[in-house]
Amino acid sequence: MGLLQRLAKLLPLADHWLHRFHGGVSPQYNKSLSASQPLRATLMPSQLVLPLQQPVGLPAEPIVQVGERVKKNQLLARAGKDPRKALVVPIHAPTSGTVTAIMPMTLPHPSGLEDWCIVLTPDGLDEAIDNALQVDGSAPQTPQALKDILLQAGIIGMGGAGFPTYAKIPGEAGKIHTLLVNGAECEPFITCDDLLMQTHADEIVRGALITAHALGAKRILCGIETNKPAAIDAMRRAAKQFQQDNLKVEIKEVATVYPMGGQKQLTYELTGVEMPSKAHAVDVGLLMMNVATYSAIYRAVTLGEPLTARIVTVSGLGLEKPFNMPVMIGTPFAELAEAAKPKVALDYPLVMGGPMMGFQVQNNQVPVLKTTNCILANPPEPAEMQMPCIRCGACMDACPVNLLPQQMYWHAQAHEFDKVEKLNVFDCIECGCCSYVCPSHIPLVQYYRHAKSEIKTIKAEAQAVELAKQRHEFKLARIEREKEEREARLKAKKEAVKQAVAQEAASETSATKDSATAAKSGAAAAAARAAAARKAKAATASTDNQAILGSSPSSSFPSARLKAIEAAKAASARAAKQTAENSPEETQQAGSDDTAAPAMDAKAAARKAAQLAAQKRAQAKATANVEVSDNKETADKPDTKPDPKAAAKAAAMKAAAKRREKTQQAGAEGNSEALAPQPTDSTDNDSTDNVKTAPVDLTGSSAETPASQKEAARKAAMAAAREAAKARAAAKKQPAPQATNAAEPSARETDAATDAATDAELDPAEAARLKREKAMQAAKARAVQKRQAADNSNTASDASSQESSS
Amino acid sequence: MIEAVIVFLGLAILFGLLLGYASIRFKVEGNPLAERIDKVLPQTQCGQCGFPGCKPYAEALAKGESEVNLCIPGGTEVMIQISEITGREPKEMDAEAAEPKPKEVAFIDEDLCIGCVLCIKECPVDAILGATKQMHTVIQKECTGCEKCVPVCPVDCISMLPIEVTTKNWQWPEPQTVQEAK
Amino acid sequence: MTALSSPYAHNNQSVRKVMLQVQLAALPALLAHIYLFGYGIVIQWLLAVATAIVVEYTLLKLRGRPVLPFMTDMSALITVTGLVFCIPPEAPWWVVVSGSAFALIFGKHLYGGLGYNPFNPAMLGYAFLLISFPVPMTQWTMPGEVVGYTLDFMHSAQVIFMGHFDGNSLDMITGATPLNELRTGLSQGVMVPDTLRAHDSQLPWGLNSWAWINIAFILGGLYMILNGTISWQYPVGFLGALSAMAFIFEQIDPATYPPLSFVLLSGGTMLAAFFIITDPVTASTTPRGKLIYAAGIGVLVYVIRSWGAFPDGIAFAILLMNIAVPLIDQYTQPRVFGHRR
Repeated sequence: MGLLQRLAKLLPLADHWLHRFHGGVSPQYNKSLSASQPLRATLMPSQLVLPLQQPVGLPAEPIVQVGERVKKNQLLARAGKDPRKALVVPIHAPTSGTVTAIMPMTLPHPSGLEDWCIVLTPDGLDEAIDNALQVDGSAPQTPQALKDILLQAGIIGMGGAGFPTYAKIPGEAGKIHTLLVNGAECEPFITCDDLLMQTHADEIVRGALITAHALGAKRILCGIETNKPAAIDAMRRAAKQFQQDNLKVEIKEVATVYPMGGQKQLTYELTGVEMPSKAHAVDVGLLMMNVATYSAIYRAVTLGEPLTARIVTVSGLGLEKPFNMPVMIGTPFAELAEAAKPKVALDYPLVMGGPMMGFQVQNNQVPVLKTTNCILANPPEPAEMQMPCIRCGACMDACPVNLLPQQMYWHAQAHEFDKVEKLNVFDCIECGCCSYVCPSHIPLVQYYRHAKSEIKTIKAEAQAVELAKQRHEFKLARIEREKEEREARLKAKKEAVKQAVAQEAASETSATKDSATAAKSGAAAAAARAAAARKAKAATASTDNQAILGSSPSSSFPSARLKAIEAAKAASARAAKQTAENSPEETQQAGSDDTAAPAMDAKAAARKAAQLAAQKRAQAKATANVEVSDNKETADKPDTKPDPKAAAKAAAMKAAAKRREKTQQAGAEGNSEALAPQPTDSTDNDSTDNVKTAPVDLTGSSAETPASQKEAARKAAMAAAREAAKARAAAKKQPAPQATNAAEPSARETDAATDAATDAELDPAEAARLKREKAMQAAKARAVQKRQAADNSNTASDASSQESSS
Repeated sequence: MIEAVIVFLGLAILFGLLLGYASIRFKVEGNPLAERIDKVLPQTQCGQCGFPGCKPYAEALAKGESEVNLCIPGGTEVMIQISEITGREPKEMDAEAAEPKPKEVAFIDEDLCIGCVLCIKECPVDAILGATKQMHTVIQKECTGCEKCVPVCPVDCISMLPIEVTTKNWQWPEPQTVQEAK
Repeated sequence: MTALSSPYAHNNQSVRKVMLQVQLAALPALLAHIYLFGYGIVIQWLLAVATAIVVEYTLLKLRGRPVLPFMTDMSALITVTGLVFCIPPEAPWWVVVSGSAFALIFGKHLYGGLGYNPFNPAMLGYAFLLISFPVPMTQWTMPGEVVGYTLDFMHSAQVIFMGHFDGNSLDMITGATPLNELRTGLSQGVMVPDTLRAHDSQLPWGLNSWAWINIAFILGGLYMILNGTISWQYPVGFLGALSAMAFIFEQIDPATYPPLSFVLLSGGTMLAAFFIITDPVTASTTPRGKLIYAAGIGVLVYVIRSWGAFPDGIAFAILLMNIAVPLIDQYTQPRVFGHRR
């Protein structure tokens, strides 16, 4: 070993013989800048910024209010949903103070995007909640117990990626045979793990032992680079001190070469196991975590401390006094960098992480995250011009994953992303070795990052396209099916009508009325009480159907429909019963009606029930009625349509819709409409009411085919239209001021309709002008009307509903 | 002389038979051309090409009944792909379609929505959720950005918004290419 | 502000530095050449560099590329240096000028400049000269040990620019290279050992001037391997294959096939091994691909030398293998970490 190392000093080539993995580079480490300084005392920042979004997973939800005073270790934000699924990590207060804002702030992310953060202004008292996690200090015996503590403590991988630790640990004991401790810290400048190992070796060792114990691991291996002799010594001593009978931490020196600290590289170095591509370490029975993570685990498990602070290296060639410091999560970068006495003003971007894998932050005020191991202040150097690739292969020799960087670059540049993917770009760990050695100064890593995100986007798009295609085809198929069903139904209806005409009407009709009445009373009660809304809807729907089609129930309807009718009958009966039991006021009337119905004259009963329903409705939802008419008469909606153009357009649309509806009615509904007895109208109203009052979707509630759902929806719309028309008619009968108000919309509608008609003939410009004029008039009229409408609507709708029920 | 004629006649008959056999034996079912074109179309089902969806357009293209430059959402890129598949001359896109547009999805202003279901009927991929008199909402993940719902809305409450960039979907930009890479 | 990706560190290597290192490594051979063959090569080199400057400037301007960074990348210098070593030291001036211009224009710029050329520009220029001007290309100035003296700078210049010096014809000082002699001898029925014995050298260890120049190239090559400028696979593969061929055929028939030492230390063997085939742009880049590529050249060189129409097959062997590079790269991709082969 010694000979090799001496040889390596003389011969750059021999470097590769010191370690097992391929490639790697030996950059200027500059570690002594910060490693030579003792750990500094924690700086109390002027404010702390705690992003709700962690590096991995979904954002947490804040549980504190702005202005609330919090103590150190208090929970500030937690998972809204099941955290185990969404990888949400809770956030705790790093010190005591006041929550001054919850607002979007720039994140320490290469994009420089903003996201929601809790801003905490410290009060300087640093009052803490002891044992915030309420642990008893004993080592957890099962992985699940450990995972629960880690989740509560908000511990995530502190080495770089920031994957939540509780999600990384397997749930079953014995799945991990070897626990690995990553103390390599191969990035230049960074010494936070080095100092942590020197000062808190016992915490790391005990954290590792706790984890190994809970997971049932047989072995613990710790890899530390040879350039940290003090850390190796400290760790060896701690390992010996806490050595257990069957479990101890084995400290192994590994060669100083970048990227030794990469998970796969160090695993290979320590165990000789080459982690399969795309597999997780857990799959091969290994689990590697950073020394800082083990220390955090120890503190959470034995002291009940959540993760609110970490050691951060503040270093760089632009700083006079680089240092390491236990820093509160959320401390702004700039405050820490200022504490290190910058040589020149910090008008250049700081780097989070090391020079090889870190990224420049877009704003120096960004906060320290749980994954921030280093804040680097290197003054910008004049960038070397990028030259064409000369295929020298230096990148390939440096690649620790044995990729072909120059070929990937070639294809990435040509946007041949499928080929880049074939060259295994997703195995690239973005360590930066290739860019580091490239004589042409090509930003290779950025090409790969770009290619990776492009490939992901392309794949997502391909999926979306496939989905869109399927959904479109499904829709087409559905429309086709609906058409067929409608035709079939139409045919059936016609036959039914013929039969009905042929048969003697009287007795049949009365029988129908009978059932309709029963349903009606049920519906009335349901309308009065929102709880029964759903049943009532089914009931009304079926009443509707029955009223129209009931004249010959024996004729060949689709079986689904018949079933629905049956169900509705049952439902209405149930609803009626409930009415009888629960509402004493109504019991007398509704109940007697119900019981009397069979004996009494059917027609009288029906009328009575309808009247009752009408009264109820009129009281319960006079306003709702207004809304209904509002919605239908779109020209009547000044509040929702501030734009005159929109108003004109809406009017035109409305007119067109009306025309369509009319033709439909004339064609399909004409017959049945004529046949339908009087109460049908009121039930129709009922159905629209229900749509309004019940938040459940009408079409979805009944157990019918989509086609009939649509049918029902259409019917509801028509019913509303009819009702609206009646409302207008009723209004006309009333004294002058109201009549003009109510009449106006309809007049305007006809105007709009003619407008739309003329529009088609006129040239577009002329049409637009006319439209604008109309719209202006309409808007003016609406402004006047709006005030009056508010006063009159109650009486108007009252009248309308009364009228329709009588 | 006569031998030559016989030989060539024989050869002609032989190859003719071979070709005829091959055309029957190796006949390709369906219209792979339309399938292939359909594959490159963006499947927004927007109908801006004048056909009721992507597939009908692809079929028309396969039959040679349509121009290659009608797919507006696909832009120049798709036009070139189509012309490569059909083997026809690429044609200029219309001015506004030539520039690639960032993907947008429909967004319904739920305060304005009156629940008229017009947009639901129009949506080619059933990406709008809602029912009569209930406010509607767009399933962003399934919206293809075809803009078909925008004109049918009676209250103009639907707008097309670009997809918001977050730290999750942010992309590393491509490095600026060197001057010589032109 | 645009996001600049990591890493923010660099080992300070650059294309220019790589090229200058190669140029530096060629210095021993240049000195040996001057010592053994006179100053002709210096004039040729200056001519080639002047041509390169003019051609580079004109073409970069014509192609609308930034002139300064691409002029100073020194890649043209390496190209013409490689070519100059292949040209007879007292060849007429237009040989080297046209060869350099052809190498740079057709070998590099027409393919898109540095990094985009599939063929080694120096060898393309050399092949062009061999085919176009066979006579001046085979008239090698005899080294001092044979003729008894070497031309001084002025005389060399006279020969190169006017074709004679002090009224003396060029023929007086030129002759055939050992490789050529061997070939001529064989065609006249003279056995290889006899030809070689007829030209015993007075230089140390009995090695002739051409052999000494090859040794100078080895020195430069070793320097480049040690400091990582070139990969060891190229010379190892090339010399390995060439030695194997030479050894096998010498065992079969020593009268027809020259001995190993002669094959390795004659012609442009070492120049090719360390300076020409190591041109990364046109060579294979995968570790195994480099070996296969170099070995292929080795075999081809021996084949062309022994049975081809040209005395030295370096240029054609390299150009032939250049064509095969994409194929070699395709099938020699290394196993990616964590993947099964």
